[in-house]
Amino acid sequence: MKKEDTVKLISAEGFEFVIDKKAAMVSQTIRNMLTSPGSFAETEHGEVTFPEINTTILEKICQYFYWSLQYASGKETEFHIEPELTLELMMAANYLHT
Amino acid sequence: MGGACSRKRDQPVNEDNLNRGVCGRYTKSGSSKWLGTSISRAPMDASQGNRSCPSLMDLCIYKIREDISNHSTFSMLPRDISQQIFDDLVCSQRLNGSILEAFRDCALQDLNLGEYPGFNDSWMDVVSSQGSSLLSVDLSASDVTDRGLIYLEDCKNLQALNFNYCDQISDNGLPRISGLSNLTTLSFKRNNLITAQGLSSLSGLINLVNLDLEICPKIHGGLIHLKGLTMLESLNVNCCNCINDADMKAISGLASLKKLQIASSKVTDNGVAFLRDLKKLSLLNMEGCPVTAACLESLTALDALLYLNLGRCNLTDDGCEKFSKLQSLKVLNLGFNEISSAILVHLKDLTNLESLNLDSGRINDEGMVHLAGLFRLKCLELSDTEVGSSGLRHLSGLLNLESLNLSFTVVTDGGLRKLSGLSSLKSLNLDARQITDAGLAALTNLTGLTHLDLFGARITDSGTNYLRSFKNLRSLEICGGGLTDVGVKNIKDLTSLTLLNLSQNSHLTDKSLESISGLTQLVSLNMSNSRVTSAGLQHLKSLKKLKSLTLESCKVTANDIRKLQSTDLPNLVSFRPE
Repeated sequence: MKKEDTVKLISAEGFEFVIDKKAAMVSQTIRNMLTSPGSFAETEHGEVTFPEINTTILEKICQYFYWSLQYASGKETEFHIEPELTLELMMAANYLHT
Repeated sequence: MGGACSRKRDQPVNEDNLNRGVCGRYTKSGSSKWLGTSISRAPMDASQGNRSCPSLMDLCIYKIREDISNHSTFSMLPRDISQQIFDDLVCSQRLNGSILEAFRDCALQDLNLGEYPGFNDSWMDVVSSQGSSLLSVDLSASDVTDRGLIYLEDCKNLQALNFNYCDQISDNGLPRISGLSNLTTLSFKRNNLITAQGLSSLSGLINLVNLDLEICPKIHGGLIHLKGLTMLESLNVNCCNCINDADMKAISGLASLKKLQIASSKVTDNGVAFLRDLKKLSLLNMEGCPVTAACLESLTALDALLYLNLGRCNLTDDGCEKFSKLQSLKVLNLGFNEISSAILVHLKDLTNLESLNLDSGRINDEGMVHLAGLFRLKCLELSDTEVGSSGLRHLSGLLNLESLNLSFTVVTDGGLRKLSGLSSLKSLNLDARQITDAGLAALTNLTGLTHLDLFGARITDSGTNYLRSFKNLRSLEICGGGLTDVGVKNIKDLTSLTLLNLSQNSHLTDKSLESISGLTQLVSLNMSNSRVTSAGLQHLKSLKKLKSLTLESCKVTANDIRKLQSTDLPNLVSFRPE
């Protein structure tokens, strides 16, 4: 995979998730960061740090991005959410416009 | 997210449909025109399989709904998130007194709990805990009492309160909200307890813009307490039959008033005279008031008047020449008055008119010539008049007409040709016995029709061939008795239909049910007085959207329908026999 097709999402603890740019763009917030020219350093480096999102939640969010792409292509499976993650996940989803 | 019943902040709390007259559910023919809001809060579809991909936010909200009992508080969440959870639980009717506890101190802004089952005073403590964040509360049709209102005293930022149909709120409770001076909207529809004394508690609500006291029969003498409410733009005292001329004097200084509704009150011409300084008044509803054309003299001073409802008043031709001065009018209702064609000459210069109701007036063909120049007319009501075919030629130039009611007129098939160029027509009522297949044949260019009422017309199977031109039909009524199963086959391709009334066609059998089984948009179906049997009900299984099913005088029992409801028609809320 070419570097410019991926993006690195970094959690509060510094854990890095390298995922397809296409998947990350499911989030309106990340899409804005990556596509508005000049205004974000993220655009250049293909890296976004989320100091408020912990690793567990960010991993779940990355899973959702991929699930969402599958769903859009017709594979309508269920997305499992662990009950204990729901509230934190919600806050992150709200921030990410996802 | 949130579905149809969550209300965005920037939308008005009370969206009155002003064109529907005094009583929204009144229908002339007794056929269910529209199914009101028989269930105002339809349970949302909980499944995730909803073609467009659910957002992660949606999924989390579903998840919380599922295991709501494991959440003891949402107060750590940002307000906009807890608000979404709250709205979802209200929509899906999962909320109850104990679950509500989880929303204590959540700084919620809107509690739209109108008609919510089980709401009572014991829930008010959590309502109160939202404190200064709370902006709107809808508790309509709840069991909240005067004691419950105490809890609102500290919610100082409240802007909108709805206590419609709260029959346990009286004068004793109103002082509790008298200090909520940020209120802009307040509604107490259908309250039998509130009197003039209670209204004195509202005198300090100086920011009030909308006040709704519809069907409060004891408020006579109380409007005087509103005289300091200089921001008031809309006052609804419809169906307060105690309201009289003195009450009009009391509000004569409310110069900001734009909408005044006093339908079915005792206000006379003398009372209307007190309104002449309300220069901003754009809407005046006096339906069912004992006023005559003499009141028009007072109304000529109101330059902003757009909407005037004088239906069911004591109008005669006498004095109607004053109508010619009301040139700003867009909507005029003169239905059910003792007026004749003679007044139409006074309407001919009201070229801004978009809607005119002459229902049951003595209107004849000669008078119609005066309507020929009202090119902006979109809606014309001529039901129960003496208009016949030769009068219709004056309508053929009204190309903006969208709705035309010719029911119970003497219009015949021959006259309908004059309507064939009215390409904007969406709704046409030809409920008249002398209309037959030949008349329908003349209308096949009206392909934009969405509503066609042929209730009493003598339409036969051969006439139904013409219906195929009306692909956009959403409602169709043919109840003249002339249809058989053969004719109903021509209806089966009208797939946009949401309402279908084929009652009184006594030859229809289960085969007709089979023919319409593909009309999956149907919300209401009536096949009463036919030979339909319970064996035919299986054909209705595909009509998943059906809310109302009427099969009176058929070989079908309530139990048969109930069975169908439980297995296949989850949305069915009203059926006959019951």
